[in-house]
Amino acid sequence: MDENPGISDQYRTASPWPVFVALGIPVSEVGLLFGLFPVAVGGLVLFCGSAAGMAEEAGYVERPWGALGVFAALCLVLGLAVTLVAGQPVRGYATVAAGVLLLAGGVVGRLFVTEAQPAI
Amino acid sequence: MAITGQIALTVLMGLFLVGVAAWLARVENWRSYTPVGGGATGGETAYGSDEKPAGLIRWLTTVDHKDIGLLYGAFGITAFVVGGLMVMVMRLELFDPEMTLISNTYYNSLLTSHGITMLFLFGTPIIAAFANYFVPLLIGADDMAFPRINAIAFWLLPPGALLIWAGFLPIPGVIPAQTGWTMYTPLSAGVGSGNQANAGVDLMLLGLHLTGVSATMGAINFIATIFTERGENVSWANLDIFSWTILTQSGLILFAFPLLGSAIVMLLLDRNFGTAFFINGGSPILWQHLFWFFGHPEVYILVLPPMGLVSLILPRFSGRRLFGFKFVVYSTLAIGVLSFGVWAHHMFATGIDPRLRSSFMAVSLAIAIPSAVKTFNWITTMWNGRLRLTTPMLFCIGFVQNFIIGGVTGVFLASIPVDLVLHDTYYVVGHFHYIVMGAITFAGMAGLYYWFPVFAGRMYQRRLGKIHFWLWLVGSNITFLAMILLGYGGMPRRYATYLPQFATLHQVATLGALVMFVGGLVWVYNFVVSWLEGPRVEDADPWNLKQSGLRTNEWAWFERKRETALADGGDEEALADGGDPVDEE
Repeated sequence: MDENPGISDQYRTASPWPVFVALGIPVSEVGLLFGLFPVAVGGLVLFCGSAAGMAEEAGYVERPWGALGVFAALCLVLGLAVTLVAGQPVRGYATVAAGVLLLAGGVVGRLFVTEAQPAI
Repeated sequence: MAITGQIALTVLMGLFLVGVAAWLARVENWRSYTPVGGGATGGETAYGSDEKPAGLIRWLTTVDHKDIGLLYGAFGITAFVVGGLMVMVMRLELFDPEMTLISNTYYNSLLTSHGITMLFLFGTPIIAAFANYFVPLLIGADDMAFPRINAIAFWLLPPGALLIWAGFLPIPGVIPAQTGWTMYTPLSAGVGSGNQANAGVDLMLLGLHLTGVSATMGAINFIATIFTERGENVSWANLDIFSWTILTQSGLILFAFPLLGSAIVMLLLDRNFGTAFFINGGSPILWQHLFWFFGHPEVYILVLPPMGLVSLILPRFSGRRLFGFKFVVYSTLAIGVLSFGVWAHHMFATGIDPRLRSSFMAVSLAIAIPSAVKTFNWITTMWNGRLRLTTPMLFCIGFVQNFIIGGVTGVFLASIPVDLVLHDTYYVVGHFHYIVMGAITFAGMAGLYYWFPVFAGRMYQRRLGKIHFWLWLVGSNITFLAMILLGYGGMPRRYATYLPQFATLHQVATLGALVMFVGGLVWVYNFVVSWLEGPRVEDADPWNLKQSGLRTNEWAWFERKRETALADGGDEEALADGGDPVDEE
């Protein structure tokens, strides 16, 4: 093994997640800036979901569901802050809605999705 | 109506997300039979991790630094063509003093978009293309430190470009930004009777923000890679010059781009949420300070790696090692540090405190010293060398020539009294085009021609390469020298129309641009045809670098790749069993 191992030690040369992480950022930015509720929710779900998937693939987390929960919590807190403190209900509710969807995804995933690959 | 629109948008978004999920599930299933997922329990194997999907999916999912380098290159070249076509329309409009071909507002839109396209969508990405492909090879790393972050950084660029160009797309109610690439407030804040409160400006700002995020992610990756992923035989003492410039550039990006991102967010807040950073009682000059604190390091972000390319390539065709290697590295670092202390020389004419101006003048004059150190080192490297005037070498020499003119005209601008006279004239336009087109783009071309055999496995047509070079060298000097002279004559910048007394020099400038346009056509033709059906490279050392003992690591890699490709008949690269890296340097 290399004496200075880095992340690239576990890498594979293909990953489906980066393109969607990258797409999620502009979609959510456009949605939040222009107050387009569905675009904002979709963009946030895409970004957070892909980031969770990537975290799993890179081995930072065992399964993505916990990471989804963390993202959901962040969205909920941020959304409430934007709604209550900044007084931007459309943008705030969109962030909260994304948080709720992510939380639901995390819970469903943990309860119903079985391990697809054999444990190594 | 509004509710119907919302429902339609929701349905579309839902379908899109379902589509993404379905596609991800498919790709994940497809991947599950790769050797790594299928039970390679004894740690990583080179063969398992070299698996790549085929076709379009490969390019959408790749995290291989070489593939990402090619993607950056394709993106950068596309943006360069778009930005080039934009400026051709502008130059044709300027052939005649009146408003003839396009409207003045459309000219302003093109002016804004040309600048942003060339700096953020061509300049930074084309450097990232070389850096992604070659830094890991030069330093003996397997890949970048964070391959997925690398892919994210690239994939932020296409949406960023779409947002920046959104005003030109047929979207109802959206017009292109006309703020200039510097986006000075209060114009860019959308106040007053103009039309810059339009969503097109917001979209452009978002796009610019994305490219900034992309550059920052890339920079973090390069710093981590160069610090932690170097091969065992690559130390700080023998780190190549290109990697040194990329490391310095990445440091600059790390401090400069987040500031741009913050300033853009502040501007967006001013525009959309009634904050008061730059308008509503805030300070429009604050924008200029924030922008140029990013903007001047950005100049060096764009020029340092091309300097590294020239420092790497020029000695290969001079038959000598780079003269004063250490001092070229020191000057790179010196420029990197000093670049953060010169920003207000863009603001001499804004009425800032004269005592502040003096200090910025001093540092701006001082930064000429390390730049001159490099120039003398390149000249001295060629001195008494065994010069081979190949196309990449010609572009390197063209770089040095144009950099001297661009640099010396810049020294005059650093002087407050001269700047106050010339600031808002074409002199400035001529000066910085000598640098960004005459120097930076020339070095980029040197890199593209030098490594063309590596990218394509084929050779370009040498005669066409030289025609391209001469058309560009002559064309760029005609155009940009005419701009310098226009500036001396008092022709103001950023105007679509002008007084008849400036017509001749403007026509000369347009003529030069047309010469460059023809050169560009030759270049595109040469690259496309040679990529598809150029003669295959028969030798892993197409530039005969071994002979002079100047071969660098990436050519050694190219040789191993070709040998293994011949041995197993495939064209995927793999390390030869037991083969030690060849070190000729």
